[in-house]
Amino acid sequence: MVQPLSGQAIYVVLLRELKRYWRAKSRIIASMAQSFFFLAIFGLGLGGFVGGFGGISYLSYLAPGIIGMGLLFGSVFSGVSVIFDRQFGFMKEMLVAPVSRTSIILGKILGGAVTASIQGIILMAVAGIMGAFTPTIALMAGAIAAIGVMLLITAGFVGLGVAIGSILNDFHAFQLLSTFVMWPLFMLSGVFFPIDAVPLPLQIAMLFDPMFYGVELLRWCLLGAGTPLLGPLGWLISLGVVAGFNALMVGLGTYLFSRVQV
Amino acid sequence: MWAIGGLSKISIIEVKALTKIFAGRIRAVDGISFNVEKGEILGFLGPNGAGKTTTLNVLATLLRPTSGTATVNGHDILAEPDAVRRSIGYVFQDPTLDLELTGRENLDFHGRIYGLKRDVRQRRISEMLEVVQLTDRADELVKTYSGGMKRRLEIARGLLHYPQVLFLDEPTLGLDPQTRRAIWEHIRRLNQEEKVTIILTTHYTEEADYLCERILIIDFGKIVALDTPDKLKARLEGDVVSLVFKDPAAIGKVHLLLEKEDWVRRINVVASGNSHATLSHMMQMMRGMPSGFGVDGMMSGMNTGNIRGGGKMPEHLQQMLAQDMGGERGQRGFDGDSRCLNLLVDDGGHRIPEIVRLIDEAGVVLESVELHKPTLDDVFLSVTGRDIRDERGSFMEMVRRHRIVQQARGRRVRG
Repeated sequence: MVQPLSGQAIYVVLLRELKRYWRAKSRIIASMAQSFFFLAIFGLGLGGFVGGFGGISYLSYLAPGIIGMGLLFGSVFSGVSVIFDRQFGFMKEMLVAPVSRTSIILGKILGGAVTASIQGIILMAVAGIMGAFTPTIALMAGAIAAIGVMLLITAGFVGLGVAIGSILNDFHAFQLLSTFVMWPLFMLSGVFFPIDAVPLPLQIAMLFDPMFYGVELLRWCLLGAGTPLLGPLGWLISLGVVAGFNALMVGLGTYLFSRVQV
Repeated sequence: MWAIGGLSKISIIEVKALTKIFAGRIRAVDGISFNVEKGEILGFLGPNGAGKTTTLNVLATLLRPTSGTATVNGHDILAEPDAVRRSIGYVFQDPTLDLELTGRENLDFHGRIYGLKRDVRQRRISEMLEVVQLTDRADELVKTYSGGMKRRLEIARGLLHYPQVLFLDEPTLGLDPQTRRAIWEHIRRLNQEEKVTIILTTHYTEEADYLCERILIIDFGKIVALDTPDKLKARLEGDVVSLVFKDPAAIGKVHLLLEKEDWVRRINVVASGNSHATLSHMMQMMRGMPSGFGVDGMMSGMNTGNIRGGGKMPEHLQQMLAQDMGGERGQRGFDGDSRCLNLLVDDGGHRIPEIVRLIDEAGVVLESVELHKPTLDDVFLSVTGRDIRDERGSFMEMVRRHRIVQQARGRRVRG
């Protein structure tokens, strides 16, 4: 069923997400600190042993993956927050308004994508200050491209979160979600080790992780190269997978949300 | 539409044979038809689980009717849901504010999503904040508000987009008596000043009596009476004499004795339903349920009338639910523990000596006698055969009420 979109409705739901994000300062600080610890402790600690991969330092290798981690967790939880909206009743206020559910959920997805990407941008700056990236003109262009990539990645994962949040009824499943969805997506995304250096079964598992392609794209943007496994057109393959995943998840989230009972 | 007496009355809502069946068998609303007149306050009075909220949700286009039709402000609920939604404001039973936003931001969200232009929106927000006396707290986060303030804000929000009709679902549930009074005054004033038609649901007879021009008594999804409070009470000619006995066994005996007297118009056994005892019993049963089947999970199922947690629900609870939701229509008024009879008699004051003498001669011990004019409680009892305060009406409703009241109390303690 085609539902008419209302720009005003999308905007107001987006605005609410931004306000709520900005007010939850402790949550922002906690997630930033977590990412920073990963970067500082793993990057400097583990980097001392590993040295680097393919001519780049371990910290540089790690940075796009840690940015990806911030994007992943931020966006999925932002999508799953539809559960909170239902529990605390605000969902009814949105659903009784004379606008389509598609407008509401697109606002929600955009809001989640923007807030998670803001987090990613800050992390990118922190990693830059720590010396993870070589400051060149190409990096400037890459950083701008990375912002676009971030929005693309996060919109897909907010969609996944909305889909999960539309099916689940309560908070109890949160722990399960974290253990069985978030962590595997994160660990298999090639944050800590390159895909061409691991055994075949793990390689295959990583190739099924959409986040792997997201991190690959960020590496292309910020480091100018990706894994040799996907070849010189790795960025194009990754972009295709991320865009496809995005379309699939936004569609799935919108569909499942449209079936949520008040 | 022309009413008797030639007065022209415009119907703003017309409902025809509306039916809503959940899960293929639970008739929450059962073929009801009625009109709501422009500008009136109409109350849906009924016990918990009678179908009041379901009716509102169907009229608000949140639920599709199983059959039947309705128009709101001239718009068909199935064909023009957006126009219907624009015509109504809905204040839900459970809180639906965003606690992380300020009062003004909550209203601003509403104004924007209903498409009000900036200048209209800002003027209207100030105006409504003034009306519900929240101007000085408007820029504080809603989580710092008291229960009564939240309710007022929700009412202001419901009226923000100039709706023709305002739905208030149990507007004073969980509020203390003073706050309830204040909310009543707001509702009356808004009805007059904003010229908005109001439909409210309540299971408090005093609320319906005080606020409503007409009362629609609904029970098991059916309309059992629709009239003004005075006319409803006038239907019960005479006085009500309440008799309380020491021993529940006396009920049957006295019932037989008095039904022979021609001046006794009606005898009702008043259920002894001690709601607190029943509720704590229910809550204990809840604790015995498997984990993962949380009260909250069940609530969301309840809100929709869907028993989605069904797969995980123990057998006996499923049966209770089916009964509670109207699956079984047995009479539930008489429970064998009752110690109270209500008699409707002519000229009650003069009959009391005779009643006492008859009971005394039968060797039954009376505990107390009370005489009063018929109230809406008596009307309810006479049309449904049940006491509206009999909380066993619906298990699910009871549990969620318990939760709402607990939340309201918790807020008060903290606030």
